[in-house]
Amino acid sequence: MTKTALVTGASRGIGLETVRRFIHNSEDITTVVMFARASEDFDAAVATLQEEAPVGRRIIARNVDVGDRGDLKKAVKAAYDEVGNIDILVNNAGYTNPVPLQQVKMSDFEKTMNVNVYAPFLIVKTLLNRGNEFSLIVNIASTAGINGRSGWLSYSASKAAVINMSQVMREELAIYGTRVVCLSPGRTATALRRTLAPEEDPSTIMQPEHVAKVIETFASPIGRFIDSENVVVRQ
Amino acid sequence: MYSLILLNGGVGARIGADQPKQLLKLRGIPILVYSLITANRVKDITQIVVNYPPEWREAIEELLEAYAITTPVVLVEAGDSRHSSVAAMLPHATNENVIIHEAARPLASKADFEALIADEHANVSLMTPISFTVAPVDPETHEVTGSLDRNRLRNVQLPQKFAKADLQQAHDKAAHDHTVYTEDATLVADAGHPVYFIEGSDVNFKVTTPTDLRMAGFLLRPEEEDDD
Repeated sequence: MTKTALVTGASRGIGLETVRRFIHNSEDITTVVMFARASEDFDAAVATLQEEAPVGRRIIARNVDVGDRGDLKKAVKAAYDEVGNIDILVNNAGYTNPVPLQQVKMSDFEKTMNVNVYAPFLIVKTLLNRGNEFSLIVNIASTAGINGRSGWLSYSASKAAVINMSQVMREELAIYGTRVVCLSPGRTATALRRTLAPEEDPSTIMQPEHVAKVIETFASPIGRFIDSENVVVRQ
Repeated sequence: MYSLILLNGGVGARIGADQPKQLLKLRGIPILVYSLITANRVKDITQIVVNYPPEWREAIEELLEAYAITTPVVLVEAGDSRHSSVAAMLPHATNENVIIHEAARPLASKADFEALIADEHANVSLMTPISFTVAPVDPETHEVTGSLDRNRLRNVQLPQKFAKADLQQAHDKAAHDHTVYTEDATLVADAGHPVYFIEGSDVNFKVTTPTDLRMAGFLLRPEEEDDD
């Protein structure tokens, strides 16, 4: 049976590497929908993927700011109307602006929650309300959601919410036979990590393709044998 | 193709809540939803006729929309008894064959429905063996009046399937005879139509009491909670 995947935050980092692995390595994922904000990087990444994609693979790229609820809902409905059932969803898009508690602006805290928590929720709810049945949902959280980190209040709080929300999704969606995986990567060389730890040498930490490889494994037939409660991936 | 008659009209007096028991939450999900989702996934069920306790229509409609039940649904207000509810729902069934199920059995699986549909006979019920002894008694004198061979008895479960014409005729006869039944397999058999059974499962029990609700929740736990 052919499957369709939707990946958010797909223009770079873990999201892009996940799409690449789905396109090249999956035997049954034939369509991948990529959501990311409009950027030259996104356009270039999509062009490269389309050039190198094996025959029969379909890549659909959409410019979506997942932090904008109205736009996100429209984009999800349009994607469902275009490709039909989304079998695999990877909620990867993330946002952070790490500042001390005293300097956290409410508007920025709300943006963090919009992108990291409300967007994954809204995508899942919108699709369920349309009759979509997922086989797998992967929510990307963070080890910072397990233990709060000084200076990362909004980000840590949002990722803690993702971990908890994933547990609820896992229980409620069991009725459809949906597996819900919460993946908490440790330090990974992404743009978001550079915001959190600008002093760090990215070559010394885990790379996005390593995390993508774990996601690919979850989406593969062997994935259902792996306990999917908050899985920590760290170097 | 089948029309599902989904009995959902109870008010839950025995479970002691301020709402119908089929709207109580089982692991966070209204009990009725389990049957709706299961039925929605059985491709041979092309219509669902569901009844509702008076004043609860809106709540049922909200669930149908939220859970994107795509099989066409007809809503019918519940009757005074289960027997009268089936009789009132039956004319709304548009297929020649019907399946009767009740929302209070949320653990009935897709495989249960498919096994029922796959059976060659027209009138079939899930049933389970009786694991205890049932004694015939005189309730007035408390005298035991004989014995029953439990090998010849079965615990009647739902879902059940019937040829609509057989079920309709059986209900017409019961109405004519002023006889009320507590379920339909024996009703149809008493009307002279052959009814068969296939093996049910003890998991598919009826949620009637608060203890049943907890038991069902226990059975729906993720399996790894039983790990060492």
